[in-house]
Amino acid sequence: MSQATSPSPAKDSRAPAPPAKSATPAAPKAPPAAAAAVAAAAPIDLKSLEQKLKDSKAIGVMTKLSLKNQVDDLVAQFRAFHSGRQPPTLLQLRQPYELLLMKVLSLVQDQDPNLAKHLHDSRDYIWGVLADRNKFLANL
Amino acid sequence: MKSIAVSILCACASLAALAADDPGQRKDLTAVIALQGKPCGEVLSYVAKGDNDFVAACKDGNKYHVYVKDGRVVVEKQ
Repeated sequence: MSQATSPSPAKDSRAPAPPAKSATPAAPKAPPAAAAAVAAAAPIDLKSLEQKLKDSKAIGVMTKLSLKNQVDDLVAQFRAFHSGRQPPTLLQLRQPYELLLMKVLSLVQDQDPNLAKHLHDSRDYIWGVLADRNKFLANL
Repeated sequence: MKSIAVSILCACASLAALAADDPGQRKDLTAVIALQGKPCGEVLSYVAKGDNDFVAACKDGNKYHVYVKDGRVVVEKQ
């Protein structure tokens, strides 16, 4: 019984190898799948988003300028919030943020669906940047 | 000399008429007015008064002066 459970040293050295081998290919398999999923849902950074909006042909020049005005106004409100001025509170800022995002989405969704998807996927990320003082100051 | 002036005037007038029929510009004006939260429906026609300066006539009968001042887009009901 003990012989059956304790194999030869040669077998011993090989025994751990198969699990290690099988674990090795399994490990790289998971990361590409996970990476693809993460990449698909990866939020776009604010600078890239701004550039994509500037480059998009889905919206006209005056619309872009008008959107920029509204983004600047909202960012100014967040700047005031982070400098300690209230109201508006963070909760109150969420509504104009969502409204502005919806406006942009409605403008680009028909002619620039990729940008619309990027925007949609980045909704929470952008809010996270705006709402967090350190991230806000680092990004804007 | 007079005929040259008339020709230039006609050319300018036809260019202006062409610009007023640009569907891209109409769409741009429609979006700008909607972004400001003003009622319009859609812009049916417009008159270009200058660079980034338009008077837009909306489907619902409203008219707006849309222009850029100090880097900001202004929409004023007329």
